[in-house]
Amino acid sequence: MPTARPRAGLTFAALASLTLVAGCERPVGCTGEYCGTMVIASGGEPDILLPPVSEFSITRDVTDQLFLKLADLGASGNTIGDEDFQPQLAQRWEWDTPTTLVFHLDPRARWQDGQAVTAADVAFTYDAYTDTLVKSSFRSSLRQVAAVTTRDSLTVVFRFRQRYPEMFYDAVYHLRILPAHLLREVPRDQWRSAAFGRAPVGDGPYRFVVWKAGESIELAADSTFFLGRPHLRRVIWRFTPDQQGAVTQLITGDADAVEVLVTPDNVQRARADTALATYPYKGSAYGYVGFNLAAPGDSTKPHPLFGDRDLRRALVMATDRERVLRNVFGDLAKVPPGPLSQVWWIWDPEIRELPYDSGQAARLLTRTGWTDSDGDGIRDKDGRPLAFRLLLPTTSAVRRQYARLLQEQFRIAGVEVQLDEVDFSLYNERARAGRFDALLNVWNTDPTPSSGFPQTWTPAGFGRSNYGRYDNPEVDRLVDQAVASAANRDQARRAWRAAVETLNRDAPGIFLFATSNVAAVHKRIADVTIRPDSWLALLRTWRIPADRLTDRDRVER
Amino acid sequence: MAAWLVRRLVASMAIVFAVVTITFFVVHLAHGKPCGSDDRPLPPEICQALCRRFGCDKPLLEQYGKYLAALARGDLGESIGLHRPVADALADAIPNTFTLALAALLIDFALGLALGIYQAVRAGRFGDVAVGNVALLVNSMPVFWLGLVLLLVFAQWLRWFPAGGITNPILCPRLDSPYCLLDFLWHLTLPALTLGLVGAASTARYQRAAMLEVVRQDYVRTARAKGLREQRVLLVHALRNALLPIITLFGLAFPFLFTGAVLIETVFAWPGMGRLAVNAIFQRDYPVVTGAALLTSAMVVLGNLIADALYAVADPRIRVRGGEGGP
Repeated sequence: MPTARPRAGLTFAALASLTLVAGCERPVGCTGEYCGTMVIASGGEPDILLPPVSEFSITRDVTDQLFLKLADLGASGNTIGDEDFQPQLAQRWEWDTPTTLVFHLDPRARWQDGQAVTAADVAFTYDAYTDTLVKSSFRSSLRQVAAVTTRDSLTVVFRFRQRYPEMFYDAVYHLRILPAHLLREVPRDQWRSAAFGRAPVGDGPYRFVVWKAGESIELAADSTFFLGRPHLRRVIWRFTPDQQGAVTQLITGDADAVEVLVTPDNVQRARADTALATYPYKGSAYGYVGFNLAAPGDSTKPHPLFGDRDLRRALVMATDRERVLRNVFGDLAKVPPGPLSQVWWIWDPEIRELPYDSGQAARLLTRTGWTDSDGDGIRDKDGRPLAFRLLLPTTSAVRRQYARLLQEQFRIAGVEVQLDEVDFSLYNERARAGRFDALLNVWNTDPTPSSGFPQTWTPAGFGRSNYGRYDNPEVDRLVDQAVASAANRDQARRAWRAAVETLNRDAPGIFLFATSNVAAVHKRIADVTIRPDSWLALLRTWRIPADRLTDRDRVER
Repeated sequence: MAAWLVRRLVASMAIVFAVVTITFFVVHLAHGKPCGSDDRPLPPEICQALCRRFGCDKPLLEQYGKYLAALARGDLGESIGLHRPVADALADAIPNTFTLALAALLIDFALGLALGIYQAVRAGRFGDVAVGNVALLVNSMPVFWLGLVLLLVFAQWLRWFPAGGITNPILCPRLDSPYCLLDFLWHLTLPALTLGLVGAASTARYQRAAMLEVVRQDYVRTARAKGLREQRVLLVHALRNALLPIITLFGLAFPFLFTGAVLIETVFAWPGMGRLAVNAIFQRDYPVVTGAALLTSAMVVLGNLIADALYAVADPRIRVRGGEGGP
């Protein structure tokens, strides 16, 4: 056709000019130290920007820029006592009595609508977090606080029920102070759908600009912020369906930072990109195979297999955790010495645990009557094969990979494992109801073991997070001692270590991995410091030096 | 024609109602409760309290009755996971999905028709065979896989197009200038191409077959015998009749586009209804799933209705029969 060639040429030209025009930058203006713009690619989107009613870590990342705490964790991550905490909204504090903590608010603090931040806001916030109508999942973290009252407009008093090492942490870490004058009229049972949560007014270093559902959230620096003007003038979160998509956006230059690169392959890609810098930091997650010690669906009876401590110990010893971990994570995780995340200060590689010893595992199984009597490769006892089902969610690629590798390791030991891969909602429901033999679970932990550990490994967590119904009074006693009565950090550490070693001897699970994270940030961004419990906690100090600004940073609109 | 239209509208509403009913029962009967995410599951007492608030502890028929009553008032309910009215969430997502589907539809039919005609004109020759094989290859590809390939090649390797999203969030927070409109089209290109290419491959095959059938007809031979230029014979005389099967294909394209959009929106981080629905399914956000099913089925049914109407416009024989009782 004689006309075909010109038409094709025209189409190409149109496409090329479209690409060219779209690729161009707008006129630029901003110069100096406070012009930076950072785009963060995120594998999830907040549900609502109201801290008490959201459980997502991405929500916390955003709201931590909008709302201040009274004080925040220091770089050491020490949660015991108050000496390592940094003032935020509170200028200073003192202990009136061993159970009475007095905060003095910084008089310079202002809500972004111009109103002063007062002690009444703090009392209001505590009241909201603990109100059953609000249904905050942080309520239980404040159970030791008996009351919060105001002494004057800038002085607020916390009264505790008893004295314990992490009183200060409990008082400050979970509470993001909220503006009473803007939220008082919102009915408490409607906070989860409050309009405020989609256009919040805070007192932090950044103010809310826009939230485009499914696309992005933009914050702008508050140039009058009383603790110092943030260097990056704009921070934008771009939402992708998953973390892999976020990494792709980083590699293609559509974003400047991602929280975690997830796989060794992504780390390699990021390190190969000369524009990116990588920042390793301790992860707050640990993963394990949890055995159900009770019969599935009937917690009054022991599990026909995992009620037997020797069998559990044999399975732990039959698992080459280091090898599986290298396969899945490379060097992006460590084998934990118990149910511990790396951010916990009680992490100690010297904690005693059951070794990988396939010979000893085989002998133990044989001694307890599990032999391969019919030569089919699977051990059996009284005509019953040594087989169980492993529950895991389809949403986790890591766990699916782990499950297959474990299945093979157990097969070599003469144990048959069938995988129950279900979507997360069903996984969660079955885990809570105890309808499983074993599960492959992951916990994202707080900076301290004090609340998470008891909820997961003592009877306090029955019906909640202790899915396998593990119960050893000796562990409970040691945990109580570590949480409530240890007078100092060393004493607490010893109690924790004893508790974990006792638990390891019981083998209620196979502790597989504790994540090590690697964040990637564009090299033009300087002074990047990451606090492991909250990677953007120190965002206010990140900056782009004037000589590294790109047109994207300078653009005005 | 009016009677036919009324009958079709009633039938369409019945179909949408059936889809909503089936979706409602399927999502509610599926195991799992709306209890947070893999990231941080909600504590059981909060999960139960939320369930009570959204009525999922009530008997299913009672929930269904309440849902229908609210629906009759135009209330799609409140999203459990997004903490906002379902109507608002859908209103944000629909324009994006609709734009994507429309752009894909344009690519599908413009490219598909052109290739089909080209193949028919060169039937049996190299061009026909080459285009046919490429079309078959593209048609055999899963749409999400093709999306990933285009993403890898054009976004990651060549960096000609963005890796996802709908606009550049720094330069274009709003579509308020010609520049930002171009930026939007730039972001739209890869997802629309992915969906459009797979559709075009199929359309081209149909169009080729239809054209080959028509060009053998007597009236086409007559047109050529009259000395008309080949271009006019093909594009004016043959094409109109060869379009009839394509109109059927137009109706069928809507379900493909909306199901394809579910995958493509996920691959390209396109904030449309597909992504919204997928997230809602994983989080057991019943009101959003049911609302998305309601709207998607309504759009598919409407697309089919338009296809039937176009059929009547394109084929006078149908118009005559339509007057007697409908197509």
